[in-house]
Amino acid sequence: MLSARSVVQRFGATTALAGVDLEVRAGEVLGLVGANGAGKSTLMAVLAGLLAPTEGRVEVDGEPVVLGIPAAADRHGIALVPQHVETALVPELSVAENLVLFALARGELGPLPGRRRIRAAARAIAGDDLLQRAGIRLDARAGTLRTAQAQQLLIRRALHRGARVLILDEPTAALSVTEQRELHEQVRRLAAEGTAVVYITHHLAEFVGLADRVVALREGRVVDAFDAPIEPARLVSAILGPIEHLPEERPVREAGEVVLALRGLRSRADAPPVDLQLRRGEVLGITGLLGAGKTELLRQVVGAEPLVDGTMTLDGTAFAPRHPADAIARGIGFVPEDRRRDAELPEWDLVRNTTLAELRPHHRFGLLSARSERSATAALIRSLGIVAAGPRALLSSLSGGNRQKVVVARWLAAGSRVLVLDEPFRGVDLGARGDIGALIRSSAVEAALVASSDPEEILEVADRIVVLAGGAVVGEFRPDELDEARLAELLVTSTAKDLA
Amino acid sequence: MTISLADRIRDGVYRSGLLVLLAALIVTFAVSLPAFGTPRNAVIILQSVAITAIIALGVTISLTVGGFDLSVGSTVSFVVMLTTASQVYFEAPPVVAVLLGLVAGAGIGLINGLLVVVARVPDLLATLGTMFVFAGLALVITAGQSVSSGATFDGQPAPGRITEGFAWLGRGDVLGLPVPVVVMVVLGVVVTVMLSRSRLGRLLAAVGGNADAARLAGVRVGRLKVTAYVLSGTLASVGGVLLAARLGRGDVGVGGAYLLETVAAALIGFAVLGANRPNGFGTLVGAVFVGVLLNGLTMLDVPYYTQDLIKGAILVGALVMSFSALFKRKDAS
Repeated sequence: MLSARSVVQRFGATTALAGVDLEVRAGEVLGLVGANGAGKSTLMAVLAGLLAPTEGRVEVDGEPVVLGIPAAADRHGIALVPQHVETALVPELSVAENLVLFALARGELGPLPGRRRIRAAARAIAGDDLLQRAGIRLDARAGTLRTAQAQQLLIRRALHRGARVLILDEPTAALSVTEQRELHEQVRRLAAEGTAVVYITHHLAEFVGLADRVVALREGRVVDAFDAPIEPARLVSAILGPIEHLPEERPVREAGEVVLALRGLRSRADAPPVDLQLRRGEVLGITGLLGAGKTELLRQVVGAEPLVDGTMTLDGTAFAPRHPADAIARGIGFVPEDRRRDAELPEWDLVRNTTLAELRPHHRFGLLSARSERSATAALIRSLGIVAAGPRALLSSLSGGNRQKVVVARWLAAGSRVLVLDEPFRGVDLGARGDIGALIRSSAVEAALVASSDPEEILEVADRIVVLAGGAVVGEFRPDELDEARLAELLVTSTAKDLA
Repeated sequence: MTISLADRIRDGVYRSGLLVLLAALIVTFAVSLPAFGTPRNAVIILQSVAITAIIALGVTISLTVGGFDLSVGSTVSFVVMLTTASQVYFEAPPVVAVLLGLVAGAGIGLINGLLVVVARVPDLLATLGTMFVFAGLALVITAGQSVSSGATFDGQPAPGRITEGFAWLGRGDVLGLPVPVVVMVVLGVVVTVMLSRSRLGRLLAAVGGNADAARLAGVRVGRLKVTAYVLSGTLASVGGVLLAARLGRGDVGVGGAYLLETVAAALIGFAVLGANRPNGFGTLVGAVFVGVLLNGLTMLDVPYYTQDLIKGAILVGALVMSFSALFKRKDAS
């Protein structure tokens, strides 16, 4: 019904899709899985007509179609319900107005549609059954809808527009268990009636009993396809890919006393408590799929978010940072997941980016000494092997890997002893990845906590690996006793529990 | 890699364009108008822009943290009425009146800062609101009347007057230079050095550059924003005190005109030396640039009612230089 043929999508130098062939058949539920950056969202956008592919084509019923604008996809009966449903609604308008938005935009309701007319049209779209069952008022502002309500309305709107292919992006991310079950039933029902449903989720266990077929993407390619019955653990292996190079022989490091201890921390209020201990001279790796709670925990440790629950100690004394400055004062440096948003000052030069977290050593007579800042930065550029035109080059002129090195350099310049790194190797080339890995294992850093959803990255740097799933610690490994099958099983444990 | 001549010219225009233009303007006027190129006229020009420049330095600080202080004009109005009324109605000594004005300016800045940081009202809206409130309060404290020595108060002649000591702040000289010009130079240097060379200035700029990144690097973003607005309000009140002293009376609504003038000076300052961001030196140059042009054109008998048009055109030109892709520096490397 809907197919992608050798679709290639490039953004500048990055290739998001490297030739994808995908067939969506009428009446099936097709699951789509892949790690962050595997190309899921891009493929979605191409199929939903939000992006025109660089190469290749999209066919509907065997006929090549030109998408690239949402209206074209709408005409061909393809509809996307985004993960963040609020982005598909105009919050200031009423529910009724949102439901008839497409019709309004196309003038199908006449030049001066009255309120009565809009309500009638909206009622026909949503259906009285849904409005009553979900307790939705047509006059309410769309911004007041709950996620599940908005989702149901968007699905109804899409079906009313004659959608034959429904794309659901992470539809259960914000739903309760009951709502999730209802959605699954609805999806099965739609498929039985002949609608094709493309279903994306990182809760792999959801596919059991729901999907007829699951396609796995990795690095912009389709790497595997599974027919029902679906086994989540096999999906994980397909998403992560084979672990190619096992860590080389590394000197076994004698871990010292506990530096940082987490007791009863929770990633969310409804998540299970987590205890972790980070020892001197050790790199502790945390791995888990998207949504496992890694980022939420790390941000609490560094004072970026308030503690949900539990206590921490640092060097044996109580540690309760209320602001990142508190954590920094105790010697903790944080490399955030979203470097561009949370770490970079792109229009600043390397010097100012590097010295930002600790300016006091550069004070001379109450003012900042340009010479002192520059020489400190130049030394770090040399020791970290940062490739740049010089200390005064703008951060935006550097490659991703070198920018990440600058972020790490910021903490060395601030004298941080303990580094907390969230997905430090994302968008970082292999060379820089090796350098950063070597640095956090060096004596320049007392101890480090590294989180990554890619177990291979963790294996490269960690002395000890903790597996997180659904906010809970579900297993612990040493790099030399890794068992891929066991790891895959652990990674999906909690999602299976959710549904049980 | 060799840089083409066209690129060099473009980069040159970008970096020094406004300064070169200012120099060319001064030379042209000096050659064609004998009265222009005199030290006396230079002082007149500086005096004409001094108060604007001082207030604009405050606006520059609010722009540095990524904010925008629209309330500076109203702050000037309020401080003018407060300092004059306190002297004329309540016989406050000049020192008390000045301190009262400065504290009021800082207080307005504090309110702005708290609205932005604690109440999370967007900068433009918060300061738009306080702009109205303090323009209104300036009228309320004198029941809508202008204040001058000998004015009536509660039906009686007011007991106090504007003293000469106070008027000296606006009309007096220090080493042959008018007091407001001296204050402008001193505050110009202090603010420029603070923004470019001090830890506080660096942190303020970090907040404006990327507040999320700054926070995770340990910068107390909220406190710095409040600090920026307090400094902005205080500098506006310095302008208000000097204006009251120069006028020798409290005229209703006299500060309103300063909002656009000072914002223009600060924004023109973006283009100076290719900074492309708020900077103290640029703001001074921006204010002087407008002053020189208006002074020269007035001598050339260009009618006064064209002044706003000319200022607007300069502002648009400078903004194009700062933001247009035509002048974007390729890269630092």
